[in-house]
Amino acid sequence: MAAETPDLMVHSCDAVVWIDEVDPQRAIAVGGSKMGRLAELLQSGVEVPQGFAVTVDAYARHCRESGLDARIDAVIGRLGSQASAPSEAQVEEASAEIRAMFRETPIGEDLTARLTEAYEELCLRCVDVNVPVAVRSSATGEDAADASFAGIFDTYLGVSGIERVLDAVRNCWGSLFTGRALAYRLRRGISHHAMPIAVGVIELIHARASGVAFSVHPVTGKSDRIVVETSWGWGEAIVQGLVDPDHVEIGKADGRVLKYDVAHKRIVSAFDFAVGAVTEIDMPAKLADRRVLDDEQVGAICAAVRAIEDHYGYPVDVEWVISRHRRAGDPVCIVQTRPVTVTAAPEEAAPTAYDPVALAQKYLFSGKPIPGR
Amino acid sequence: MANVVPVDEFATGEWYPGYRPEHFAAPYIVDAAGPFRPGDEQGFWFLDFHWSRGLTPLAATLWSADGYCWGTQHAAEALPLPPGRGITARFAGTHLYGCALPETDPREIGARANRIATNLPHFLQNYRPIWEAGRDELEATWQYFRGVDFAGIPDLTDLLTQARRYHKRSMEIHFGVMYPMLANFLGFYGACADMGINPAEIGKFLQGEDTKIMETDRELYKLALKARQVGLAAVFEENEPHQLREALGRQGGAASVWLTEFDDFLQIYGWRAEATCDVGVPSWIEDNTIPLGLVKTFLKKDDEHDFEAAARNARAERDEAIDNARAGLTREEQAVFDAGLASNQAANFPWWQDDHNYYIDLKVMLPLRWGCQELARREGADHQDDMLYLFWPELQDVASGRRPYAGELRSLVRDRRQYFDHWHAKRGDMPKVLGTIPESVEDPVLIEIFGLNPASIKAVQDPDAAKQTVMSGVAAAKGTARGIARVLQSSDELHRLEPGSILVCESTSPNWTPAFGKIAGAVCDGGGMLSHAAIVGREYGVPTVTAVGVATLSISDGDEIEVDGTNGTVTILSKAPTTTPDTAADAPAGVAG
Repeated sequence: MAAETPDLMVHSCDAVVWIDEVDPQRAIAVGGSKMGRLAELLQSGVEVPQGFAVTVDAYARHCRESGLDARIDAVIGRLGSQASAPSEAQVEEASAEIRAMFRETPIGEDLTARLTEAYEELCLRCVDVNVPVAVRSSATGEDAADASFAGIFDTYLGVSGIERVLDAVRNCWGSLFTGRALAYRLRRGISHHAMPIAVGVIELIHARASGVAFSVHPVTGKSDRIVVETSWGWGEAIVQGLVDPDHVEIGKADGRVLKYDVAHKRIVSAFDFAVGAVTEIDMPAKLADRRVLDDEQVGAICAAVRAIEDHYGYPVDVEWVISRHRRAGDPVCIVQTRPVTVTAAPEEAAPTAYDPVALAQKYLFSGKPIPGR
Repeated sequence: MANVVPVDEFATGEWYPGYRPEHFAAPYIVDAAGPFRPGDEQGFWFLDFHWSRGLTPLAATLWSADGYCWGTQHAAEALPLPPGRGITARFAGTHLYGCALPETDPREIGARANRIATNLPHFLQNYRPIWEAGRDELEATWQYFRGVDFAGIPDLTDLLTQARRYHKRSMEIHFGVMYPMLANFLGFYGACADMGINPAEIGKFLQGEDTKIMETDRELYKLALKARQVGLAAVFEENEPHQLREALGRQGGAASVWLTEFDDFLQIYGWRAEATCDVGVPSWIEDNTIPLGLVKTFLKKDDEHDFEAAARNARAERDEAIDNARAGLTREEQAVFDAGLASNQAANFPWWQDDHNYYIDLKVMLPLRWGCQELARREGADHQDDMLYLFWPELQDVASGRRPYAGELRSLVRDRRQYFDHWHAKRGDMPKVLGTIPESVEDPVLIEIFGLNPASIKAVQDPDAAKQTVMSGVAAAKGTARGIARVLQSSDELHRLEPGSILVCESTSPNWTPAFGKIAGAVCDGGGMLSHAAIVGREYGVPTVTAVGVATLSISDGDEIEVDGTNGTVTILSKAPTTTPDTAADAPAGVAG
């Protein structure tokens, strides 16, 4: 235990790590997967927003020092001590109780000071007062093995001012205890201590357009194309499925746009300065049916997607933003990436040559109707 | 749960008067033809549109035995089709139903798959010499028969046998080429559809190649223009097709010169019957009514049909369709598409599907018909075509003098004519399908030629088909047209079409082509993307929907209908009064591209 003291010292210094300063090797361990990946991407030359992670250690320290640990364990112990598995309602009740604790428990002075310092530094870097930020949960193990966790932790867009940032950080911490996450861990017998959460505080990119991109077709699994879905403004409406986005497919080999289906986009995620948050409003009529991306923008998105897939060596999905200030030739900004979750069964290798026998077998003699008939 | 339509009504053991089972005795590969018999409901039987008149005893037995039960079954073994063994035939009265023969033994299917893996590439690499050798062989035999003086042959027995063998051999060649070409085309089609290409575009990729059938239409059209030029339009307008030859002859002068040119035309293009492989139907040379009627039809339309422009448009549309399709494919997909397109251009099924009719379907029965007519003359039969109401063994007996025609056979022929007429009148009420109805079929001929896809198979089972007002099918040729429906049972009724009519029929074949010069739209029960109506509809810019399944049941003659060939729908706008079908050229039809 001789090493304990120096370790603690390192931890206490590491309440905050900056995306552009953290060692990418350690990034996921201290900043969670979401923030860790941004650090990895930046290192590999991809454009990402400025920002820092409130580390898993900061979270652990807050829980320990504020007494939250004991109170959480009491609630969870109550759930786990029953003879049978707790009901959904009981889990939801426990979740609400724990999340309320997080909301009501102030962050300690020392940590508050460190976060305030980091936020002010971010304001400085962005040359802005009370710079609006995205506060995103960045759990450990969130997207590593089990994709079912993806997207269940909180994200707050357009948070402005240190008080609101601190509130958002605590809410993100609390989201480690959503009903779904609690039930999952109970079922698997995993302690919440085994998957602590970090929180990213990153510059809010003022989005002209944003969307998702897949380095393989997310439904068919075809790996010869990049698929992009996009709408005006921020990506929340797309990610949450509130808007029917434009759908673009691009040949991976030559970057040619194979198809561009313009959707009727009814809802847009926009920044409401009065409220200080990104909210969903009706799409202005003039934008609803307008094509979102031009070929240059599509090309920039594809360049980033290809770079990210090359970096990781496996298919990825990516959330990207085109800022209002981006000019042609600039890279697009990547705000999130993770391994792609293909819903289709892995397809047999797409044919690379015309084989009339194989095609006749597949389409004519298979006992299934020929596609398109 | 497969739907089963009983065949009992037709499996009575009764058939043409004097029929005996041995009349169908002929070599076959898997299953022999015959009238429906009990147990046949296990198969899936579809009413074959090629013979909508019904078939005489000789035509019925020879086509079903030599065409389906030898030709298709032979080709299905030779290629082979892994899960299929060709087509067999049954008769409900005079009406032919086809049924694909499935191979169900998994080991056998695997062995056949191995064989096609060798044979299909070999065929595709050697398509031209294979098809041309077959075509030339048939043309050589055809020339042989042209050189025979039928009247000068004392015993016609051998000549009739030779004529039948010519037909049978033509079917070996026909299906020997058709099955592998279809397998290649449908595989390409499936790959295209899977790559996201709009299926309605795929048919266009291979269009625009000139065929002997299109050449025939062009030459006949030239004759029509010539007739107008030399002032014969009035003669054509005032006379019905069957009176035209005589009327023109009476006229003399320019009309005689025109008739000479017309006869020259017939010597090249007139050796074609009005139906596919039906010995019961005359050639244009034998009966001028059809080509003269077509000229009459052409003359009714004031604006000239520009064949050159149509061909240019077809090629431009093809090139545009190919460019558009390629633009939506990844580089990897383009490699597959380009090679598949090249393969299908080299062995172009849509082209062959039209062109081969000139060499095979429309004329290979003619020598047998000539032999039968010569025999009828010698026997002093009541009609020139009486021998077509004999069965093959009877015909052989009469030809060789073993059995007299006078007496029993002559009397049987009279009875059989009545039987033919009785069933001819029932054609419109014949069920479209019988037996065990599947959801989809695998035989490429059923899929492409008969247009049997899941939707059309479903449509023909609808008990309320006769009441529906909106139908869907294959969007075969784009555009929308409104007009008065003319529901035709066979090409015998082509004269009922007026400019602007909407043609509604079971299906069309090459002899229907000139009608597309005047109709506003076309609707067919059968036929796929590459059926005759689809190809010609695109060629002539006539909005066409095929594979509707029940159009001839749902639409009545005189109904006002709309054909949407872009989306593959047909709508009945207003029903005709239920009195006798009118034949007036009703309101002019509007056509929109």
